[in-house]
Amino acid sequence: MIEIRFHGRGGQGAVVASELLAQAAFLDGREPQCFPFFGVERRGAPVTAYARIDDRPVGVRTSIVNPDVVVVLDPGLLATTPVCDGLKDGGLLLVNSPRPVERLAAPDSVRRAAVDATAIAVAHGLGSRTMPIVNTTVLGALARASGAVSLEALGRAIDRFVPSHPEANRAAASDGFASVRCVDAGVPSSAPPTAWAPTAPLVLPDGPIATVPSRSIRTAAWRTLTPSIDLARCTRCNFCWKYCPDDAVELDARGYPVIALDSCKGCGICAQVCPPKTIAMVATEETAP
Amino acid sequence: MTREVLSGNYAQAYAVRLARARVISAYPITPQTTIVEKLSEFVASGELDARFVEVESEHSALQVVVSAAGLGARTYTATSSQGLLLMHELLHWASGMRAPIVMGVVNRAVAPPWNIGADHTDTIAQRDTGWLQFYPESNQEVLDTVLEAYRLAESPEVRLPAMVNEDAFYLSHTYEPVDVPTPEIVDRFLPPRESHAVLRPGVAARLGSFTGPDHYVEFRHELARATEAVGKRLPEVEEEYRRFTGRSHGGAFPTYRAEGADAVLVTMGTTSTTARTVVDEMRAEGLKVGLAKLRMFRPFPDDAVRELAGSVDRLGVVDRSYTFGPAGAAATEVRAAIYPTPHHPLVAGFLAGVGGRDVTPAHVRRMFEELLGNPGEATRWEDLLPAEVGAHG
Ligand code: SF4
Ligand code: SF4
Repeated sequence: MIEIRFHGRGGQGAVVASELLAQAAFLDGREPQCFPFFGVERRGAPVTAYARIDDRPVGVRTSIVNPDVVVVLDPGLLATTPVCDGLKDGGLLLVNSPRPVERLAAPDSVRRAAVDATAIAVAHGLGSRTMPIVNTTVLGALARASGAVSLEALGRAIDRFVPSHPEANRAAASDGFASVRCVDAGVPSSAPPTAWAPTAPLVLPDGPIATVPSRSIRTAAWRTLTPSIDLARCTRCNFCWKYCPDDAVELDARGYPVIALDSCKGCGICAQVCPPKTIAMVATEETAP
Repeated sequence: MTREVLSGNYAQAYAVRLARARVISAYPITPQTTIVEKLSEFVASGELDARFVEVESEHSALQVVVSAAGLGARTYTATSSQGLLLMHELLHWASGMRAPIVMGVVNRAVAPPWNIGADHTDTIAQRDTGWLQFYPESNQEVLDTVLEAYRLAESPEVRLPAMVNEDAFYLSHTYEPVDVPTPEIVDRFLPPRESHAVLRPGVAARLGSFTGPDHYVEFRHELARATEAVGKRLPEVEEEYRRFTGRSHGGAFPTYRAEGADAVLVTMGTTSTTARTVVDEMRAEGLKVGLAKLRMFRPFPDDAVRELAGSVDRLGVVDRSYTFGPAGAAATEVRAAIYPTPHHPLVAGFLAGVGGRDVTPAHVRRMFEELLGNPGEATRWEDLLPAEVGAHG
């Protein structure tokens, strides 16, 4: 049995990716079991999906904590989510990223693979630059890098189950298959190690009512765009501070805004309300380490 | 027959199409929504000849199908969690008016706090409303059980509504292969509903009108007799279904490797699949453990439970819901069922998987190990976070 875990965002197609993988594996004559987990159904919020593929019916109904393969559909998640948690030694990490595969931050004990699925998807007209629909491209890359499913079956599954632009999706899957780049386990990563602030264990209060300040809810993982302030033009009007729905704008000693990146969900309201328009929303992947 | 990869929710929708339901009404709620979304597509495309009635709440949805069932139509609705709670009043009307509705319920935790994970509190809280309740463990069982539920619910001696439940995500959003019977086969197993309709144009009649103490007792007694009839009728329906499709799911309380077992775990829904795998692993290690599945919770299969209890010394009952009684809902019922029998096995209660928390093979193994040791009968919260056990345990 092979166990695969997908990390993506609502709207990117992680849920459909797990369904398509199930259909393709079935066409390969295998027994799939694929399902997503999501909380709030909001575009941009992190979504996890799971797939098991075996030669006989799968006899366990739980999420996957020790995957053979981890697939990351959005490179921005690498900065906010410990995607490699539980990944088996010798397992595979596949990331949608334009970077050289050697630069992916990952333990040396795993195989790494990268595919520039965003560029491929955009080239085939699938989604937009800020919200590309990369699922079929990534599945093509997965077929090559993991062998979990055949490209031929994936193409047939796309034809049957992708309602819009099946041809473009099939072509994107082929491009993903052709262009994925892999390095073996044991090759050291040249990326600076990601310093994960360990998540503090949640301590419930003794009383019946939990008073959790909204600042302690880390909505950073939702962010696909990050506010960047040009302080030279800032008038210190504090509109951004007042309007931020997540209390993510702090003021420094002189009254200049500072974005608390743990809480900022990237909604862009601060940029909208800023009178001199000094706040630009930039793609989160470009701000990742 | 075709074999297709379907989600649990689509398996439910496919079954309703095969059953040729005539009136469907529902209000969307995650994780149920994709059931009625699929059905509305079938109705829009003409693949299903039914009226799809859009409403402003779950309460209204159930009222629509209660009324349509009163006119003799085969009906369907679906909901989850808070939506089911909003239906509570109408649930009693449906059973009291003997409306053989089938309803899909995707079991989802009850708020607060908000949570859309698998948890049986929503349906367990409706156990006294007179509805039959099934807890399938696979998408195949979901599809088959919807068809069986119509046949059972519409049997003249039963005529009660039925819920076919699915664990949120572990079934509702899980894609896996399912055998879909042909319409020709299903039409033979499940012909159009024989109408016992009370309400007919041109005939003056009422459903659910006022009754004083002079007759109310008899109405309730009729309900009790109808409920008792389910125990006899279900095996017949399963046998008919097996004749047409080659499949059956073992009645109300199927067991697995329970013969000669030192300890048997009683499970509901998807925990059963994981537990069966653990039983095989532990049996291979020489440990005599077995499994029994409460496939049907209402009516409660007292006789089958008593039969199992007569041959086992240790029973562990896993509840995926917290109820405010002496023990978990299923544990309480198991104890009550075996009280009149001479042989009383130890019955340990486990709470696990509440709010969508994974019930892993390791959890199941630990429950078996505790059961084989000396568990006592107090209810155990099997999967609390370690920090919480000390703080609140
Ligand atoms: S984008 Fe701006 S307004 Fe939105 S959460 Fe971040 S700081 Fe606040
Ligand atoms: S809204 Fe714009 S100008 Fe006003 S404080 Fe914020 S960044 Fe500065």
